[in-house]
Amino acid sequence: MKRAECVIGALLAVLCVAPLGAQQPSGTVRGHVTDDATHQPLSGISVAIGSRAALTQADGRYVVTGVPAGSDTLRTRMIGYAPAKRAVTVAAGDTVVVDVALSPQAVGLSEIVVTGYGEQRAGNITGSVTQVTAEQFNTGRVVSPQQLIENKVAGVQLVDNNEPGGNLTIRIRGATSVNASSEPLYVVDGMPVGTGAGGGIFVGRDTLNPSAGRDALNFLNPRDIASVTVLKDASAAAIYGANAANGVVLITTKSGRGGSQVEYSGSASSSSVTRLPSMLNAAQFRAAVLAHGDTSQINQLGNANTDWFGLVDRTAFGQDHNFAVSGTGGSNRYRLSLGYLNQDGIIQGTSTQRISLGFNYDQRVLNDRLSVRTNLKGSRSFDQFPPGGVLSNAAQMGPTQPVYDPNTVTGYYNWPKNQLQSADNPLQLLNLAKFQGTTYRSVGNVQADYSLPFVEGLKANVNLGYDVTQFTQATFNPSVLHSEIKSGNFGSEYRTDPNMVNTVLETYLNYARTLSFVPGTIDATAGYSYVQSHAEFPSLTLTGLSTDIFDINGFPTAAHVSPGSPNVQESRLISFFGRLTYNHSDRYLAAVSLRRDGSSRFGASNAWGTFPSVALAWRISQEPFLSRVRELSDLKLRVSWAKTGNQAFANYQQYTAYLAGNSLAQVQFGNVFVPTIRPSAVDKNIKWEETAATNVGLDFGFLEQRFSGAIDWYVKKTSDLIFTVPQPAGTNFSNFVTSNIGTMKNQGIEASLSARVLRGGGSRLTWTADFTAAHNTNRLTSISANGAQQIPVNGVSGGVGTTIGILEPGQPINSFFVCQQQYRNGKPVEGKYVSLADTIASTCDAASLRAYHDPAPKWILGHSSYLTYGNFDFSFTLRAWLGNWVYNNVASNLGTYQEVRRFSPYNLHTSVLTTGFLTPQYLSDYYVEDGSFLRMDNITLGYSFTYRGQQVRLFSTVQNVFTITGYGGVDPTAGLNGVDNNIYPRSRTVTGGLSVRF
Amino acid sequence: MNLTRPTARACAATLLLLAAADCTDLTVEPKSTVTESNIFNDPNSYQAFLARLYAGLAVSGQQGPAGLPDISGIDEGFSQYLRLYWETEELPTDEAVIAWNDIGLPEMNTQTWTSQSRMVVAMYYRVYFQVVLANEFLRQSTAAKLAERNQNDPTLRTNIRFYRAEARFLRALSYWHGIDLFGDIPLVTESNLIGGPPPAQSTRTDVFNFIVSELNAIIDSLPPPGASTYGRATGPAASMLLAEVYLNAGVYTGTPHWTEALTAAQAVIGSGAYSLDTSYRHLFLADNNTSREIIFAITQDGKRTQTYGGVTFLAHASCGGSMSNGTYGINGCWWGLRLKPQADSFYAAGDNRAGYFYTSGQTLAVTSIGDFTKGIAAPKYQNVTSTGVPPSDSAFVDTDFPMFRLGEAYLIYAEAVLRGGTGGNVAQALTYVNLLRERAYGGTSGDITAGQLTLDFILAERGRELLWEAHRRTDLIRYGLFTGGAYLWAWKGQDPNGTNSAGIATDSHLDLYPLPYSEVVANPNLKQNPGY
Repeated sequence: MKRAECVIGALLAVLCVAPLGAQQPSGTVRGHVTDDATHQPLSGISVAIGSRAALTQADGRYVVTGVPAGSDTLRTRMIGYAPAKRAVTVAAGDTVVVDVALSPQAVGLSEIVVTGYGEQRAGNITGSVTQVTAEQFNTGRVVSPQQLIENKVAGVQLVDNNEPGGNLTIRIRGATSVNASSEPLYVVDGMPVGTGAGGGIFVGRDTLNPSAGRDALNFLNPRDIASVTVLKDASAAAIYGANAANGVVLITTKSGRGGSQVEYSGSASSSSVTRLPSMLNAAQFRAAVLAHGDTSQINQLGNANTDWFGLVDRTAFGQDHNFAVSGTGGSNRYRLSLGYLNQDGIIQGTSTQRISLGFNYDQRVLNDRLSVRTNLKGSRSFDQFPPGGVLSNAAQMGPTQPVYDPNTVTGYYNWPKNQLQSADNPLQLLNLAKFQGTTYRSVGNVQADYSLPFVEGLKANVNLGYDVTQFTQATFNPSVLHSEIKSGNFGSEYRTDPNMVNTVLETYLNYARTLSFVPGTIDATAGYSYVQSHAEFPSLTLTGLSTDIFDINGFPTAAHVSPGSPNVQESRLISFFGRLTYNHSDRYLAAVSLRRDGSSRFGASNAWGTFPSVALAWRISQEPFLSRVRELSDLKLRVSWAKTGNQAFANYQQYTAYLAGNSLAQVQFGNVFVPTIRPSAVDKNIKWEETAATNVGLDFGFLEQRFSGAIDWYVKKTSDLIFTVPQPAGTNFSNFVTSNIGTMKNQGIEASLSARVLRGGGSRLTWTADFTAAHNTNRLTSISANGAQQIPVNGVSGGVGTTIGILEPGQPINSFFVCQQQYRNGKPVEGKYVSLADTIASTCDAASLRAYHDPAPKWILGHSSYLTYGNFDFSFTLRAWLGNWVYNNVASNLGTYQEVRRFSPYNLHTSVLTTGFLTPQYLSDYYVEDGSFLRMDNITLGYSFTYRGQQVRLFSTVQNVFTITGYGGVDPTAGLNGVDNNIYPRSRTVTGGLSVRF
Repeated sequence: MNLTRPTARACAATLLLLAAADCTDLTVEPKSTVTESNIFNDPNSYQAFLARLYAGLAVSGQQGPAGLPDISGIDEGFSQYLRLYWETEELPTDEAVIAWNDIGLPEMNTQTWTSQSRMVVAMYYRVYFQVVLANEFLRQSTAAKLAERNQNDPTLRTNIRFYRAEARFLRALSYWHGIDLFGDIPLVTESNLIGGPPPAQSTRTDVFNFIVSELNAIIDSLPPPGASTYGRATGPAASMLLAEVYLNAGVYTGTPHWTEALTAAQAVIGSGAYSLDTSYRHLFLADNNTSREIIFAITQDGKRTQTYGGVTFLAHASCGGSMSNGTYGINGCWWGLRLKPQADSFYAAGDNRAGYFYTSGQTLAVTSIGDFTKGIAAPKYQNVTSTGVPPSDSAFVDTDFPMFRLGEAYLIYAEAVLRGGTGGNVAQALTYVNLLRERAYGGTSGDITAGQLTLDFILAERGRELLWEAHRRTDLIRYGLFTGGAYLWAWKGQDPNGTNSAGIATDSHLDLYPLPYSEVVANPNLKQNPGY
């Protein structure tokens, strides 16, 4: 098998490059190094006797050879531990055993942090890396893994679509891309996932079907996760090369610890809606129609008083149960977990259900030289989505109209005459239409780590993995639906069954040793990676259903049947990578890495990209001149620079494809209809986007890390941004071609502080407070080779082709592009704008349109507090965003009296009572609002006790406790584009739960 | 490093093995789409490619009614060729007004567009979408390429000769639209390769000469007229296009070509392939494909040629107010298009060409552009057949767009004669015009005399006969009335959101649309039209 050969070959090849050790005679000293407090073995400890030195292995074992006969001193050194000295006397040819127990000083610095292709002690990291462990995770209703670290890491923005299990987007230090993905790379237990194996399915790193709005990591039960590490700066991420530009999130799942045990944790939750669009009530609506409609609309008014949103939403219940069996043997560890989640959404009929299974097994063999770790995860998710149009119709439907009408086929009331310009009864949609999906996904890998016998410190690692997804999604709109009758579809059904298989083969060699010719230790890694993705997207659309009897479960005879092409999507990413770190006494630290990536997505002339990084750190606190400042436990300056890439864009962009037209786009030649083909406009030289980033950081700690934190400043310059840009007419097959044009800059600062304010101990109060603050500014610097240009983006409801955003050099991406409203007596004057020339204009056109604020928060502030008192624990999380702006599209679209002049009147947004707008003013800056907010995301109270020898914890959590904001729409975190247009409402959730360990 | 020689050799061998084992092979070619490297090995591909050129006029992308759009930067439904061409030819004139406030649309009603107005921009790119596709077809279908691919079937070879002529016709058609709307534009032919440098700007005269020489070169190579070639370009269609181009040659080049226009119109009339439809209304109904008057149509089909532009747009947008959509065979009204009051006044009593106007609940005056009930509704294009057979679909129409028809050939003949073209005579011109009027009046009551046959009459008659058939702007420019103050109509030159609707004089630079701002930026060779 070709790929197996590749792995073996690569392994041998990197072996060739690895330095080989040399032997010398004399005595030997060996032993174990352990933690004095926990008695756990410590790895990576430098043990030195005179000029001879060695590093301890994973089990704490060390061997120092060639020790000159006689007496000398053995010194150990490990960050976070007090240095130790032992007198040793060795005779020629003898072996002496010296075991050392080290006393911890500042444990935080010695924590092991998972990094790309390896791990490091926290204190010795040269980049900007944050690890969040299980104790710090958010609790309560957590459906998707990313929610665990929401608000815990400075510079990480999480945007939730509010549906349970819904899509979550993460921006690490701002967006680095416009048209490729800006999502980070996720690596779960060493397996890159959600990337389509370095290959997105649609565009970039999205879920199998982004329209379904479910999150890519939903296959993973959050309760199985042990830690999440965020590689924020480019130097830390650069080892992932062309997938690293948006940062990397490394997720490690739990493995067995301690003796055999069974754990159960479960919770039940209740969620209710917080804010809904503010629409006119029945009396106000009636008044508006009487004043602004004509007889045809007035005659349609009913006498009911219906709160459509009140009928559409509900109090939603959820439950979550998790069992885990785990344990450790003499040479193995295991953990098997089973999870069940059933969470309803606050919109009627929406829900997510998940059954998940996780299995981790570690086995050490060959005198512990070979460790084999197996990670298997599988899940089935069943999702019920809100049928399209429920929320927009709840907004538009007249509150004077009744819900039911016994004289109709379906029993639901609808406006008369089935006109296009009449809203649909949202209850009819909710109860008769269906939109659901089932996802089966399994991710697994085997990682073998072998300490080669002939060279101390040399390890070989092979990782083989797979990621398989089978997804089925279907929508069903029966022919009796008002929306189907008025559109002329007369019943429609859509079904898609995509599947995806990714395979990953990675191998690397790692060599760590102390140096003899200069002081310090080195750690070198060199590897090869081969990642391949295959996906298919068959689909079928039926319209004009002959019967509704089969519901969503079958295909009736239909007037139109349009099969989608199977759409096979394949990609491949091949990489060579290497990294060298140097550590002199934990005082001078350096890391350089280089990755070379070849991707099937790159044009032939740009097939391979090179991504280097350099990082240096200086622990100033280790210098003699600061050694007298005993309160200072850590002070470290970090400087790094790296180049990373982004290849998360569509496949095959370099190929001029002749796309076949469908059967509805044929042309008539005489009496026959001829299907068509059309060449696509491409740039044959398409390549990765490139981000060059500089990071300067300062880590500090006082009083043995009781107070610790970091401050980072960074600047990221992205070039070769992929844009679809206008082409000179006549030079390509369309007016726009996707090409590497454009540059962008993100710049910011981040600060984090962790304070163990009270360390009570025993039954007294403890309090740890964490603070994060991050400021990011984004500027698009150019979007075309020929100078200034503007690209309208972010379509909104209202009119056809109306866009609210702009991509313009000098402005942040997705800036709103609006006209400045003129006000008189505090009231907006309809149709009057302040032009760029500062005159009053009566049209909102190029003379008045300007970039105005943007949806990205300028500041993200976070605070988490963790308190314990006796058996009680209490924690809460606060979050604030400052300077994020939101376009209230429900107000702009329905806040105008013209909407009652539809064939059947639309309900209006209450903003019309203030503005009095007769006609729509979609592009008025009146609708762009400051979305800054302070939100209490989470309060948790827990009580732990022992019952008949079993550890039990009871807890209760309230999520989204309150939000303080001046924003008037549904949610100030309304999506990355800042368009609040009938978004799924945010809920407040109260959860109660329990965990037991047997 | 301490490598022994055998180790070094082993390492070298390993590295070679790695290279040889394809461990660095990155090529992953598309599987579900066909690329330019192999598509033309399929003999059917030539017809499919040519069909795409015709589809360029009829639909908006590779999926009907919408999906995989041909051009971007605009809503796909808005981007459809015929819809844009119709809007650029009708909305700024005395004939039509559209209610909607969509970006780029209001200014079309009032001649207040800019180089960024989306409809103007999209129309320009539509022209070049056609041109570039035609160029590629001509490059891919040369005898040498066919021989290279062993495409030697004689029937295929014959068909491809027709196809090549048709591609050149369609390219000439779009170039005509290009110079008519935009003036000096780049002339790009099959010798300009994809991915090449930005093309140079040509003069309107250069492109005019190219159109004429192309049409003359292919006129005898096009497929013959008849039911089996309906929808395709035939010899008379090329003559008709020549007649249109010559009729406006004075505008395009400064030198009129009345005689050539007359000759070309005579060629159409003399071909004998067409006859005046006895029913004027039949020309605009769902079964107008059976009309023997239509010389070249953009075909539409409710089931097989679906678009949100084209005649689907015309039929839906001209319905609103108290009109009942079912009457017109459509699934709903879009509340958009009405007449400006001047167009209503084109028609005298007894002229049945205005018989379909819908006045109930509609005012004559367009006091507000956004209100459908202001202005007489004119549901000219209807999705019902002349015999009352239901259309194939109500969301998308079966009604074809008659781009060229015999009635207009008569009017071109008459105008060319009156303007001094030689080879025809006034008596024949009068006969032709009266044939149209007799159909309109259902008898001779509307006949005119030779004395009444003036150039002004021709313009008015073109307005009556060809209302909403996408000729009006070109006609008004030829008569010098489109801009300036000699002829004012509702909303001309005024603020579309304002209240003043009497019309004001406009500047003559508006006789040309601006080149798109994005195009002037992308192609440094281009000089913007004066006044923009």
